[in-house]
Amino acid sequence: MSAFSVENVNQIFGSGTARVHVLHDINFEAESGTLSLIMGPSGSGKTTFLTIVGGLLTPTSGTVTVNGIDYNQRSKKQRDALRLDAIGFVLQAYHLLPYLTVADQFTLVDKVKPKNNLSKEELNAVLEKLGIKNLLHKYPSELSSGQQQRVAIARALYPDPAIILADEPTAALDGPRVKVVGSLLKSLAIDHHKAVVVVTHDSRLIEFTDHLYEMRDGVLTKQPITKE
Amino acid sequence: MFLALKEIKKEKFRSSLIIAMIVLISYLIFILTSLALGLARENTDAINSWDVAKITLSSNANVDMRQSFLTKKQAGTLTKNEAYLGETPVVAEAKGHKQQSAFFVGLKNSQFIAKNIKLESGHRVRHSHEVVVDDSLKLKGYQLGDKFKLNDDQTKFTIVGFTKRAKLNVTPVLYGQLGTWRSLRGIKMGPVTSVVASENRQYQPHQSGTKTYTRQQIINKLPGYQAQILTFVLMIGFLMIISMIIIAVFLYILTMQKLPNYAVLRAQGIPSRVLVSATISQSILLVASGLIIGTLLTAVTGLVIPAQVPMAFDVPLLAAVGLGILIMALIGSLIPVKTVLSVDPVSVIGGE
Ligand SMILES: Nc1ncnc2c1ncn2[C@@H]1O[C@H](COP(=O)(O)OP(=O)(O)OP(=O)(O)O)[C@@H](O)[C@H]1O
Ligand SMILES: [Mg+2]
Repeated sequence: MSAFSVENVNQIFGSGTARVHVLHDINFEAESGTLSLIMGPSGSGKTTFLTIVGGLLTPTSGTVTVNGIDYNQRSKKQRDALRLDAIGFVLQAYHLLPYLTVADQFTLVDKVKPKNNLSKEELNAVLEKLGIKNLLHKYPSELSSGQQQRVAIARALYPDPAIILADEPTAALDGPRVKVVGSLLKSLAIDHHKAVVVVTHDSRLIEFTDHLYEMRDGVLTKQPITKE
Repeated sequence: MFLALKEIKKEKFRSSLIIAMIVLISYLIFILTSLALGLARENTDAINSWDVAKITLSSNANVDMRQSFLTKKQAGTLTKNEAYLGETPVVAEAKGHKQQSAFFVGLKNSQFIAKNIKLESGHRVRHSHEVVVDDSLKLKGYQLGDKFKLNDDQTKFTIVGFTKRAKLNVTPVLYGQLGTWRSLRGIKMGPVTSVVASENRQYQPHQSGTKTYTRQQIINKLPGYQAQILTFVLMIGFLMIISMIIIAVFLYILTMQKLPNYAVLRAQGIPSRVLVSATISQSILLVASGLIIGTLLTAVTGLVIPAQVPMAFDVPLLAAVGLGILIMALIGSLIPVKTVLSVDPVSVIGGE
């Protein structure tokens, strides 16, 4: 089943001499239960693509359909609600609230969305897997940047979203941690039937993916997977 | 509330600074309010204790009871709702005491004002050289039975009673007989009283050479009264605005620092409402804690302040002022709230 689909999306920033055509006729579909990897050089439009998929940016042209409904048919409030319930964003810049301990970052989600979040056991399992279970009472400023990134991942998974959009989720992680995050994302797709889309430079994640795409100068093309 | 509490807890130092500021400001506002009220009462207590609604004065007295003289004809016929009242400034002089400025108020025992005066101790005036005086004179060492001279009148006056709330224009009042007023004024014939006061709101005589005012009109014309009130209102108003600006600046700076975090939260679908209510509840929490401490300080001050200081602590008034400070804090949080509402999630998504 298609969790979301992107049709003929173009994104143009600015106008006149400042005009940049960032995304060209993008077509993309994410299936529940699969992990898709989008790779591409810096500035190729990967983050812009995720921003549009997440409903934060309305593309210059084209449509994005999530759970069968076009973003254009959803109010701003409904898009907020959709992001809260159905989309887990792992952002390139994690910006955890500095005055909430790791545990409170999850409590905040409970306050806003009291139902259908991960159970205590499920959360513990995720934290355990990510190796941050013993950090629950620390503030973000007391964490390394890799630890913060893993907290951000756990935070995105906590509302149990059907779609997970991750922007460079492994940027701050070393080899073994990359494997942990890769297999976690993979198991979310396979065991929990989520549609996972990861945007990255990091070729270490290729071994976990079901579909591989390349973004180059705003053009998205499907690639064969060559596992080494 | 959750976010606000957590942030205050984490940022203890910053929060205590802002609370300390609110404590000082609210304390100052409370003290000034009490002082303003105290002074206002010392200006008007006597008039208010008479329970009069209307006062008739000579039309050329500039709304000043001390400058008014009414003849029997001008005073007209009195019903049981009207009373004569003769007022004159005096200086009391007694052995062992400094000279004391006061207002002598002459009344007729049979009329309603004299009946409205409540004695704290002693008895009512029965003879022409007896007076009932404001109890502030007790603090200055006067006692029942003490004698003093008034102006250059050679006869000695005796204190036969004390009464509360007998101050006019921050000066103690000595109540005596109307005839004594005449002799203190040196009047042989002509005027019978300074004014005619009435309990009747509809009282409206039309004698030539007289004019009738409401109690409030008389009070507003008390020398210096309005200037005083205005000064206090201005100071209190400015302090309120200052507290608003402090809250606004403080929250604005904190909010600016959190914009990237808020943008991420918005991207994650946390509604703006949550962030706005965090900002507002933070401002309420900070100001409320400041107000509570300020109130405690004010209460302590009220307990230890010497009785001579003209302060009146009126709980409903102070509560209203406290509410005013809280409302100011709410207004002060509007600017940060506007910033929160304009947070653009896209701004943080791309990069660092
Ligand atoms: N709001 C904007 N206005 C103008 N240009 C923009 C805007 N956002 C992105 N761009 C441009 O779009 C292009 C793609 O940016 P994007 O952030 O999507 O790249 P990216 O593939 O995520 O790069 P990186 O790997 O460095 O994160 C860049 O050239 C960028 O300058
Ligand atoms: Mg990017």
